[in-house]
Parts: sequence; C-alpha cells; structure tokens
Amino acid sequence: MNNPHHLNPTSLKSRFTTRFLRALTKIRAQKPISSSSPTEIFRRYRRIKAAADKSMAYSVRSRRIWSRAMLWKLRSRSYRRQDPCSGRRSGKTNQAIMKKSSNENTTTRREDGVGFVEEADELRQLVPGGETMNLCNLLDETAHYIKCLTTQVQVMKKIADFYSF
Amino acid sequence: MQPCSREMQAMNSLLNPTQQIPLQDLQINGNRHHHQQIHVPSSSQFQYPTPTSTTHHDDSFLEQILSSTTSFPWSDETGPPNPEDNNNAGFNYDEMVLASKLRQHQINGGAAGNPFAAMKMMLMMQQQQQQQQMMLAGRPTVASAAAGGGITTNHQGGEGSMQALYNVFGDGSLHGTMQAKSFVGANSATEMTQSQGSGPTAGEAVTAPEKPKQRVRARRGQATDPHSIAERLRRVRIAERMKALQELVPNANKTDKASMLDEIIDYVKFLQLQVKVLSMSRLGGAAAVAPLVSEGGGDCIQTSANGGSHPRNSNGDQTPSANDRLTMTEHQVAKLMEEDMGSAMQYLQEKGLCLMPISLATAISSATSRSRNPMINHENPTNGSHLLIQSSGGDGPSSPSMSVLTVQSATMGNGGLEGGAASVSKP
Repeated sequence: MNNPHHLNPTSLKSRFTTRFLRALTKIRAQKPISSSSPTEIFRRYRRIKAAADKSMAYSVRSRRIWSRAMLWKLRSRSYRRQDPCSGRRSGKTNQAIMKKSSNENTTTRREDGVGFVEEADELRQLVPGGETMNLCNLLDETAHYIKCLTTQVQVMKKIADFYSF
Repeated sequence: MQPCSREMQAMNSLLNPTQQIPLQDLQINGNRHHHQQIHVPSSSQFQYPTPTSTTHHDDSFLEQILSSTTSFPWSDETGPPNPEDNNNAGFNYDEMVLASKLRQHQINGGAAGNPFAAMKMMLMMQQQQQQQQMMLAGRPTVASAAAGGGITTNHQGGEGSMQALYNVFGDGSLHGTMQAKSFVGANSATEMTQSQGSGPTAGEAVTAPEKPKQRVRARRGQATDPHSIAERLRRVRIAERMKALQELVPNANKTDKASMLDEIIDYVKFLQLQVKVLSMSRLGGAAAVAPLVSEGGGDCIQTSANGGSHPRNSNGDQTPSANDRLTMTEHQVAKLMEEDMGSAMQYLQEKGLCLMPISLATAISSATSRSRNPMINHENPTNGSHLLIQSSGGDGPSSPSMSVLTVQSATMGNGGLEGGAASVSKP
C-alpha cells in the first residue's frame, strides 16, 4: 500500500516519517511482540514514544531551542540507562549546559512586561527547553513545536491506520 | 510657481528612475550638520542629480535624514499611493507614493524616518505654493520630518538637521544635484531666520498626523524613554507571535490574550497526549489500542458494553503514582482488548468506566464542566472532530483499529467531569 502522505521529500513530514519508520522497524526487530506484563508494555511504549520524539527532534536538527533541549534530554536519558559511569560524564556536560543557559536567561526570565506569568510558566513546562526562554522566544518555539506535533500526530495516525488491518 | 514646477519635475525625475542612487549618495555623506547656504541657481534648469562633491554641504539636511535610512530601505515599501495628504491635488503619483511611504514609516513607529519621505513632505509643502505660510507652517513640519528622519542618532543631530533644513528651505532655490534640496530651496530666503527661530517646538505643535519626530520627541501619546520604546517593540513582537499561534491552534476565536494562551496550552497538552496515545497504539504490532487513561482528571469515559466472560483483574498497581496506576489500568485493558473485547469492557465496568462516542462525551463534558481538553474514548469512528485520533472501521468491538482517547479534564481537580462520566457509565 502506498502512503502518499509526503510529497515533498525535504519537508518536515517526510523527514520525520522516514526517520520514525526506521526507528520503528528497529524496535520491532529488537523485541518480540509478546508483551506479557504491563511493565513490558509500558517500557515498549516508552521506547516508541521516545523514538517518535527523537525522530521529530532529529528532523528539526538543532535549529530550534526545543529540539535541542529534547535531543539533550533523550540523549542524557539513554546515557543514564546504558551506562551509569557515563552518567557522570553526561551529568557534567549537562550541568555545564544548564548553568550556561540559566546564566544567559535568568535575566530575561521574568521580564514579562505583558504580564502573562502563570500561563507562560505552564507553557514553559510543556515545551521542552522552555524554562530558558523569554516570552517572545517561547511563543515562537511554541508555534514551531505545535506545527511539529501536528505533523507527528498525522504521520503516526496514518501509520497506525496502515498497520491496523 | 516656476520654481515649484521645476521642483516637481526634479522630484518626479528623481523619483522615477533613480530613487536609490541619491539615497546612497546622501548616505555616503554621513551626518554632517552644516548650516550652509544652498546654492540656488535662479535660472536653474533642472539638472538631474549628478552627485558631486561640491554640493555636499548643500546636502546637509538630506544627509541628516538619510543617515538613518539604513534601517529603513524605503525600496521595501510596497505602499500603494494612498494620498492621505489632501494637498496632493496636483501631485505626481510618485510624490504621493513618497508621501504614503513617509506616513507608513511614521505610522510604523519608525523613529528613523524616510529621507525621501521627508523630502516628499517638503515637496508637498511646496506644492501648496504658499511660500510664506508654507515657511511658517511647513517649516516645522519639514523640520520635524527631517528631524524624525535624521535624528535617530542624537538630539543634536536632529537640531542640526533641522537647522540645515531651514537653511535649505530658506534659500528658496533649486539646486541641481539634489532634488530635495531643489524644491526645498524654492522657498524664499527671508523665511530662514524665522524658520531657524521656530525650531522644533513649532514643528511639534504644527505637525501633521504622521510626522516623524526627533528621537527625543516621540509621537503623540507615547513615551520617549528608550526602555518604553523597547517595551513597545517587544509587545509588538509578542502580538505578532500570538497572531501566528492563533492560526495554528483551532478554536482561536478568543480575543483575550490570556484565554488565547490558555487555549494554546491546552492544545499543546492535547497534542502531546495524542502522541502518547498513538505510540501506545502500536504496541503489539498496532493490533489493539488501549483505552488510555490520562492522569489529568483520571477520567475515562467509556460506554459500557455487554459484559465479557472472564475479567482479568491483574491490574498492575505496582506503581504508587496515580499516573502509573492509570497507565497500568490502560495497559491491562489493552491486553484485554487484544483477546476479548467483552472482557475488556467488563474490566472497565468494574472500574466504573465506560466507552462512549466522542460527540456525546464532548457534549457532556462541555455541559458539566469546563473541561478544556476533552479527549474521549470512542468506538464510533464517524466522529470527525479533531479529538479523533484514528478512525476505525467500526467493525465492532473486536476491531483492532479502534482508537481510543481519554477524557482529561483540564481542570485537574475537577470532579464534575467524573461525575458526568459516572452518570454515563452507570446506566
């Protein structure tokens, strides 16, 4: 069956699709489908979700703050899971990055001349890497993030449709 | 009249073909505040601007104005000639273009005006052919225009440019090299003294609606403090971004910014949850989709189907947090669904949950509570709302492509939705 949902080979949608499909096949090859225990299901779900997020973040490369933050988060998580020793290394780099970003952005953090502090904070929690953005950038990142999320949802829907029978 | 017509010709010829060249030329001259007299060849045929070094001192006011042109390349303007100025009766199209461009710049908050717009202003002043009155009235305007145009740098510069303007104006003669100077020079020299005297204050008072003012003299009703200017800029940018977001997010009919932000937040949460659901749907080779129970309100609205055979109750309540408990529940139901839909339904029923079509759940949720992010388990694929994750074939309870959403009351502590759900789930 042909899925004609990416016509432009360089669009975000097609980039994400190819990456995600590759990741999915990899996951499928790793483990058998027998998901007996809920924890197993949960872990698999987590892996799939991580694959989706990672594919999306990679498709966006590092052009956006949120993609960088998400990549960093995923990478640190995978490091920590794989190797406890490397967790120290990554921890150091993480601290350095976080410190630097926090230093950069503490000044601009609460500079809400417009006065949407609570909503802005909530949005900051939702968007990855949002804690280190001022409102202006936050809105920008949110717009791009929403666009990528909708793309992700569309593609995943189509894939699920495709595999559902 | 004669000089005016010549000036107009000059202006036209200036505007039409080489609108850029004089600009760059003037820019090169830089910020020089000269109170020079302006060469006024009385018998000046209009010489097309051949920018020569000799006339630099004549270009003073233009230099002032044009020093700020870098920020406003007026060629970017696509403004159709909106002759807001009523005096443009006899004007050429191009002049009106310039006038409109000036106004646009000014309206757009450009403290750095458009030098050509300023020139246009002056030209318009000239057009009125009321040299005396023009000197009196237009001088401040022109001064303010020039000031607004040139005085992004400093106040002194503005002063100097205005002085230069006055000088140019006062000469009242056409100059060959610079068109603007040309028509500026048409004014009589007698006005110079007066013009110099009147200065910025007069300009301030008499300015037409769209005058570009000096940097320190902000537009009417607005502060001149650089902090507030920065604030204004920031607010404008935020407003732009909010508008862009409004297009992305559905239900963007809210005019209030705060509610718009709330809507955005809910939409982002909704999308993230959709991704979560979809990734769960691929467990087991996308065979069955679990009714996911989100942790928000812990609500899972599902219509109860006929009971199944053997309910599995190995609910994985291993994790203490509510989220994990719900996830375990949903995993359990997913597993059940893989085998027997009926058992899954019975399991749900034990928990006091049920399945229902999205439309019904939406109606209920909107009626009972302000649940802003309703996502609903549904078996009915015909619902075309955007809540629908995936449309199933509607084959029946054993349809593997059934997609499920959970109702999540955005107001976390809201029990109303649960109450509503309970009313549905316990028929």
